Amino acid sequence: MAKFRLPANSIVRKGRYYAAAGASRGGRIRRFVVYRYDAAAGGNPRTDTYEVDLDDCGPMVLDALIKIKNETDSTLAFRRSCREGICGSCSMNICGRNTLACTRAISDVRGDVRVFPLPHLPVIRDLVPDLTHFYAQYASIKPWMRTQTPPPPDRERLQSVEDRDKLDGLEECILCACCSTSCPSYWWNGDRYLGPAILLQAYRWIADSRDEAAGERLDEIEDPFKLYRCHTIMNCADACPKGLNPAKAIAEIKKLLVARRF
Amino acid sequence: MPKAYEPQEHVVDVVVVGAGGAGLRAVFGMAQEGLKTACITKVFPTRSHTVAAQGGISAALGNMGEDDWRWHMYDTVKGSDWLGDQDAIEYMCKEAAASIIELEHYGVPFSRTGSGHIYQRPFGGMTTHYGKGIAQRTCAAADRTGHAILHTLYQQSLKHNAEFFVEYFALDLVMDDSGACTGVVAWDLATGRLHLFRARIVLLATGGYGRAYFSCTSAHTCTGDGNGMVLRAGLPLQDLEFVQFHPTGIYGAGCLITEGVRGEGGYLTNAAGERFMERYAPNAKDLASRDVVSRSMTIEINEGRGVGPQQDHIHLHLEHLGPEVIEKRLPGISESARIFAGVDVTKEPIPVLPTVHYNMGGIPTNYHGEVIQLRNGNPEDVVPGLMAIGEAACVSVHGANRLGSNSLLDLIVFGRAAAKRAAELLEARHAKAPPAPAASVERILDRFDRIRHADGDQPTAALRLEMQKIMQTYAAVFRTGGNLEEGLARVRDVHARFSRVRVADRSLIWNTDLVETLELANLLPQAVCTVAGALNRLESRGAHARDDYPERDDDNWMKHTLLHFDDATGDVGIHYRPVHLRTLTDEAQVVPPQARVY
Amino acid sequence: MSLRTPLSQARGLGAAKEGAGHWWAQRLTSAFLVPLVLWGAFSVAMLGDLSHAGLVAWVQKPLVSAPLIALLLVVFWHLELGLRVIVEDYVHLAWLKVAVIVLVDFAVLLLAVAAVAAVAGIAFR
Repeated sequence: MAKFRLPANSIVRKGRYYAAAGASRGGRIRRFVVYRYDAAAGGNPRTDTYEVDLDDCGPMVLDALIKIKNETDSTLAFRRSCREGICGSCSMNICGRNTLACTRAISDVRGDVRVFPLPHLPVIRDLVPDLTHFYAQYASIKPWMRTQTPPPPDRERLQSVEDRDKLDGLEECILCACCSTSCPSYWWNGDRYLGPAILLQAYRWIADSRDEAAGERLDEIEDPFKLYRCHTIMNCADACPKGLNPAKAIAEIKKLLVARRF
Repeated sequence: MPKAYEPQEHVVDVVVVGAGGAGLRAVFGMAQEGLKTACITKVFPTRSHTVAAQGGISAALGNMGEDDWRWHMYDTVKGSDWLGDQDAIEYMCKEAAASIIELEHYGVPFSRTGSGHIYQRPFGGMTTHYGKGIAQRTCAAADRTGHAILHTLYQQSLKHNAEFFVEYFALDLVMDDSGACTGVVAWDLATGRLHLFRARIVLLATGGYGRAYFSCTSAHTCTGDGNGMVLRAGLPLQDLEFVQFHPTGIYGAGCLITEGVRGEGGYLTNAAGERFMERYAPNAKDLASRDVVSRSMTIEINEGRGVGPQQDHIHLHLEHLGPEVIEKRLPGISESARIFAGVDVTKEPIPVLPTVHYNMGGIPTNYHGEVIQLRNGNPEDVVPGLMAIGEAACVSVHGANRLGSNSLLDLIVFGRAAAKRAAELLEARHAKAPPAPAASVERILDRFDRIRHADGDQPTAALRLEMQKIMQTYAAVFRTGGNLEEGLARVRDVHARFSRVRVADRSLIWNTDLVETLELANLLPQAVCTVAGALNRLESRGAHARDDYPERDDDNWMKHTLLHFDDATGDVGIHYRPVHLRTLTDEAQVVPPQARVY
Repeated sequence: MSLRTPLSQARGLGAAKEGAGHWWAQRLTSAFLVPLVLWGAFSVAMLGDLSHAGLVAWVQKPLVSAPLIALLLVVFWHLELGLRVIVEDYVHLAWLKVAVIVLVDFAVLLLAVAAVAAVAGIAFR
């Protein structure tokens, strides 16, 4: 049932304030309000506020977080790797939007930059959420080529340019989970609903002309909860930092499920 | 005190450290072979830096014109400036086609030709008829080939039920008294628990150490952790002085712009708008190999012909290719250029600069992936129980300079080879992993505990920045003896000050302060060895260009450098290993050394 | 904390292999409702005499009672489909969810039968 009372320790309290060092006071100062939580330590989460001199900082939110970690507070925990928007590590909620910190320019957000972990996931620490269930859902759709016909022994399977084009907008997914964790349906029913990212991945294989298991794949996701919790809210398409449209992929799946009945 | 850590023990046949392209290819290869395999990785597999590879993976498939793996071999030897081991290069180029076709069968969404075959594009240094024509050899999935391959490899690993330990940071190799590797200790970031993996084979696939430099295309996580562990285990690293600068990193941000841009017809210009590569490489022009292009760009900038207000970078043009080609073949770099350089590539050039990209050097191995060392006069004595592949390894197929699109190939071919070799080595399946010597494990826990509680006056980030700036200045595209001496003294000083490092965070759960400190502990010895190796090599070869020794010197220097590191003193011990001027079979001829012109 | 593996939890009891019918029916009933509701609204609006006798006389016309029954059937069908989605979205306690769905179905059935019976009663008076 929908819960009307907050669980214990869920209120985010105000934490410390880190003023920019003396020399930087004259620069362009922006405040970064960052969510802090340590599951091991228990207690309530808090938001610490860091002043950052933008004249001495790279353009992206990730640059600021790294600067904070390097110069102000090395205990701040967040994931990051490629810093160019392809690995999907630094997905987080910045000023209310799920996105990659490495491709979100600080100049694109107004006022204080509020940095929170991806919503509605268990938080391990600070900006690091637990994505175990998300990854398990990915594995659950058996996201690999399934064929019965043996491939040609000494060359590739052939695929027309048109058929390959059908994978554009699907295979570019970086599994950052921005879309799934922006979806209210995934918030309420994420234990069973696969969510936009995983359904997009499912459709990536259904749409692949080389794959021979479209029917099984449709069977495996035709379910009121795995698939039909999608109510075309479209937050997923809005959130995707790669500009993909998971909602469209889900709509295609729904269409195919009807098409095969006629 | 370290007893308190009580590592949880796992007994497996093989433990693979790292889940990038090479690690994953090996992991499911081993799972297929029926080996009990564990893969530990500090990031979720699809976050590994293979994901950022753009341009493609080379193989002489001949889908877009005639091709032959022997031509590919010739190009690779020439690209390596004759430092590559030709038997290994032969193996890689010969196995390339089968390996790539396998990838396609696994589901990699390669771009296609009109006839439905894998699309192939030209790349730097890739020729036909032994240097005469331009080859279209680089198999591409638009400009996101690494992403396509890495995700597919992870999918295959899921298919084969490989066991992953995700967000585990490997601390050190467990070595026994005979010098054999018997396992690895790792730290689970999510729970804070330490784990001891006892294994009959430890396979390192931990990638390069680009982050030793200030400006690199490498991810923040490219810290050469395997290399660091190997040095601490008293084993050598090979050819670290050869660091590849990619000609086209985005000016400022350092993000990669693929060589595929030039493969598709893009070109570089200086401040005068001149296509200067025509002067430096009359035949290959913008598609000369990377060291050549990076040097040419650096000369242009140094001689005052750079673009921009500071005249400190170069323009990369692709606006003439037209929106259709860009949309179809180069969508990813259009996005990167827009985000990181604010440039619309259909209208303006991209500002670029040679940027640290790849480490040709690494853990010396034979072409099976077994780690080798110099012992009792034998420069190729196999270290029992230890293998290495990918950028972490130095097989050496790339020699002094890697050709673009040969690294993805390296990952796949040697990941596959390592799985086969491991299966051969472990044929007696009933044998169990050897016990882990208590003293060795104790040492590892002690060190971990010491760094965790490090309470000095040198913040990790400050030391790291200092090291990166030193490397950027002194171990750059062009090097001189005087400079390198100064650089070596300075980077050794940073290394010495690591003993006074400060870790502010004492937690065991997602303590990234500690992770970064451990990574720095891995980076520093590699940085010192890189500069020491560069200072030691009195010639110019491939990516190693000495102003004071501008010529290649085959008589004295056609040999691999083996670098040992003493962590207590910061001293580097240098030995050598001969280059293999031989082939594996008589299907290919040795490519004799000759002048390297493009 | 569950000791089951994450994959086991993600797979759960597998797919019900059902839902496409529900989804299609929801679209279909929506589509049917468009002309029926338009007709209903338009007819009532055009009806001059809104007295009880006038309405009874109106409903008794075969060309009114037939579409009116169709409208009611489709409305209640659509209602049931929609309510079920809401319950599935927001009720997470397994037994309660089933209980609410059964109750909703039964209530909608009673309402539908009552409504249709009322119209039929007038039509065949």
